[in-house]
Amino acid sequence: MITPRLVSLVVVLLAAVAVPAGAEDSYPTRPITMVVPFPPGGVADLTARPVASAMEKVLKHPVGVVNKQGAAGAVGMQSVAVAKPDGYTLLLALSSISIIPEADKLFNRPPAFTVDQFAPIALISADPTILVVPADKPWKTAREFIEDAKKRPGQISYSSSGIYGTLHMAMELLSQAAGLKLRHVPHQGAGPALTAILGGHVDALASGPAVVLPHIKAGKLRPLAGWGDKRVAALPEVPTFKELGYPEAEFYIWAGVFAPKGTPEPVLARLRGALREAVNDPDFKSAMDRLETPVTFKQGEEFQKFFETDARRLAEGVRRVGRVEAKP
Amino acid sequence: MLETLQNLGLGFSVALQPPVLFYAFVGCVIGTLVGVLPGVGPLAGISLLLPATFGMDATRAIVMLAGIYYGAMYGGSTTSILMRIPGEAASVMTCIDGYAMARKGRAGAALAIAAVGSFIAGTSSVVGLMLLAPPLASFALRFGPPEQLALLLLGLLVLAYMSSGSMLKALAMAALGLLLGTIGIDQMTGYMRYAYGVVELGDGLGVVPVAVGLFGVAEILATAGAPTPPAVVKPRFRELFPSRREWNESAWPIARGSVLGFLIGILPGSAHIISSFVSYAVEKRVSKHPEQFGHGAVAGVAGPESANNSATSGAFVPMLALGVPSGPIPAVMLAALMVHGVAPGPLLIHQAPALFWGFIASMYVGNVMLLILNLPLVGLFVNILRIPYPYLYPAILVFSILGVYAVNGSVVDVWIMLVMGVLGYVLRKLDFETAPIVLGVVLAPLIELSLRQSLAMSDGRYSIFLEHRIAAVLLAFGLVLVLLNLYSFARRGLDWRARMARAEEGDS
Amino acid sequence: MTIDRVSGLGLALWALLVLEESWRLRLPLGSLANPGPAYFPGALALALLVAGVAVAVLGGSGPRLASLSWSEWRHSVAIFAACAFCALAFERLGYRLTIFLALAFLVGVVERKHPVPMLVFAAAMAGGTFWLFDTLLRVPLPRGPYGF
Repeated sequence: MITPRLVSLVVVLLAAVAVPAGAEDSYPTRPITMVVPFPPGGVADLTARPVASAMEKVLKHPVGVVNKQGAAGAVGMQSVAVAKPDGYTLLLALSSISIIPEADKLFNRPPAFTVDQFAPIALISADPTILVVPADKPWKTAREFIEDAKKRPGQISYSSSGIYGTLHMAMELLSQAAGLKLRHVPHQGAGPALTAILGGHVDALASGPAVVLPHIKAGKLRPLAGWGDKRVAALPEVPTFKELGYPEAEFYIWAGVFAPKGTPEPVLARLRGALREAVNDPDFKSAMDRLETPVTFKQGEEFQKFFETDARRLAEGVRRVGRVEAKP
Repeated sequence: MLETLQNLGLGFSVALQPPVLFYAFVGCVIGTLVGVLPGVGPLAGISLLLPATFGMDATRAIVMLAGIYYGAMYGGSTTSILMRIPGEAASVMTCIDGYAMARKGRAGAALAIAAVGSFIAGTSSVVGLMLLAPPLASFALRFGPPEQLALLLLGLLVLAYMSSGSMLKALAMAALGLLLGTIGIDQMTGYMRYAYGVVELGDGLGVVPVAVGLFGVAEILATAGAPTPPAVVKPRFRELFPSRREWNESAWPIARGSVLGFLIGILPGSAHIISSFVSYAVEKRVSKHPEQFGHGAVAGVAGPESANNSATSGAFVPMLALGVPSGPIPAVMLAALMVHGVAPGPLLIHQAPALFWGFIASMYVGNVMLLILNLPLVGLFVNILRIPYPYLYPAILVFSILGVYAVNGSVVDVWIMLVMGVLGYVLRKLDFETAPIVLGVVLAPLIELSLRQSLAMSDGRYSIFLEHRIAAVLLAFGLVLVLLNLYSFARRGLDWRARMARAEEGDS
Repeated sequence: MTIDRVSGLGLALWALLVLEESWRLRLPLGSLANPGPAYFPGALALALLVAGVAVAVLGGSGPRLASLSWSEWRHSVAIFAACAFCALAFERLGYRLTIFLALAFLVGVVERKHPVPMLVFAAAMAGGTFWLFDTLLRVPLPRGPYGF
């Protein structure tokens, strides 16, 4: 029997279910998940955790880091691209977010995700890669290296973290800018790539500065030049490729926070504000110091511009690399 | 030598402080737990607990994480022996003879031998780590792609010794496993192979779902519905301990396993889980009773269990001495060091002696703790076998599914496990061994990558394998082994034909 | 028709399937000096083909196919169905509910145990393992629509 009491009970239940949908202005009301598409202990993971805990303090709600690794980041990035755009799922991505869809296009396969499935929130860090060679190699400056590479095309080898990965693309941008032909030996991740150069099995490596700094100080590796706009703070005597006359060789292993596209604007604004406060948190700053990763905070227009320029540069780079087996 | 002892004294003074002891103990307990649970292995355990260490002091963090790593090697044998389900990928070989021993009522003995073997291997390999770290690490660095390929090909030879039945069938299974290992993104060119749009398959099937599926799920599918459920073995207290004969039989395998595992652990790119596979093969080769393998040979438990423990210490050698990871687990631990402000690198031992020596000392202490923890637990674990099977196997399934899911938070892994479970079930019916498949899945991507990397390094010339001396020596050694095997195989074949001929003559 | 002949043929067919798929997916073969993505799988498929054919040819004297006993197939199918249910329902219904239902099915329906101990067991396993992994080991497990 449809009694008035039953009707009011149903109405109350419906209201209880319907209310959360309109609660954006009190965002956040429950824990947020930050997806890191890389294994724990990597650059992305180690950057994400201080960010997440600093954000927690600002937003007064737990921000949990979840590692969803696989396929060089594609698995985790795809999961956020299709997640509900309610602001409770965020992504901490590296510059490979621009590379992966391009690589998919290259192989004529449906892309795992596209860049416009994300709404960029802020950039956290942008480490330029630096070129290192084993200390026992004859090249003392970047110019010597480049000239030698021109004289002996295809003879100088370098390792990377994987095909179309960040360390590969950095080197490719240089090769394309300077007209070099180098021999690429892909490895499974940045760790094995570093091991290869330390063992003298390859001649060069483009690497994030933090990982190689101890080896430079110990005299095992020699830095030649950096891919940044400015010189690396810890290595002030190492010039940039820009200074040496190759401005197209600009590459950063950057880490930025994204949300799925379609996340409501007030939520995005709240997140941007939270991140702005988070990067000024002293605990966050000391954590990043220990990682030897300088904080480069960009937001809004600035980040958008940075992101688009970087994406265009990388897309062009990937297209020019083409499919590898076309080599003679 | 004196200096080493002094340093060790410093180390113990750090390691025996109550907070450090506590974290070592926590690490060991969590490690044992993680090792016992199927699917979740030390890599998953360390990765999951890494964030929890962020507020801690560096030494305590690294001591706890290391405890998880070698603790998992102690615990991994438990479910392998009791239920033929690998606690983690390195314990797959223990499933074979360990479970056979359990079926014969020697579960307690198997568990005890595994624990003691792990202790001896763990402790002696820490001694190796302590004394030989820097020179060994430099040697390890010289293992580049050509050397890795040579070593992995030697590892493939191991397959010939893994089967207790038809070698042809084992080779077929190896080929199948190697084929399954090619699924995923091709590391050299970026092509997706046989993934059919499933992004999660980009990194391959994964050894964890494959091992748990082929051994655990397949086992349950095959036995759960059997007309007579597995007899509940009710061991008596006296039967829990290994007999004198069993101790004797395990002594040399433990020694060999310790050395072998340590060496394999040091080498980068060698996938430390193959340490147990190689140890099994070596033990079978040198055994006076190879026909026992597969049916409860003590050496088949003692060797692999010791090997996978000493491989963990071996893995720390390049990590601590040079700041170079030899595998994914040392890589996570290096990251842990970095987060705590300790710069890993060649100067670590000099710049942070308290950390290094405290770490070494805590590994001694940790191994003792694990032995004390695991031996009494043998009695407890064996009683798990008393649980009626209709309740036990659903529980095992839940743990398997959960464990496999927990590694990557991916349901695709669970599906892989289920499919491999069905495959394992069918293969068992058809009288095929499934262990070579696991080895194939592990080795295929490594072998292919090393080969193509070597060719990339040398611009397509195969002579690189002769130019690199270590690789050449290893390959020559492998060739000699193959020829020896073919020779003995041919001889046995000839004998067999001669016997047949004589029998026919006798008939007519 | 012996078991070995059938299994050998099965393996050979698998190998042929792999070769066909490499062809269909247009994976480049490359050369000996520069092997492409199809090289290694192709070589392995050939090896599997040879092994499968060898098993089939040499398997003439093995046990006959009819001697294979599949008597437990109903049980195995039920177990597989329960596990497949888990995989499908995990992220939709949440961990605890899925496991509870799966265990109730396995222990109650397939094994036909008394409902009371079965329900207690299912609830304890679902809740206990959830606590172990989600709370203790901090592995995020999916929570269903009811936060469960």
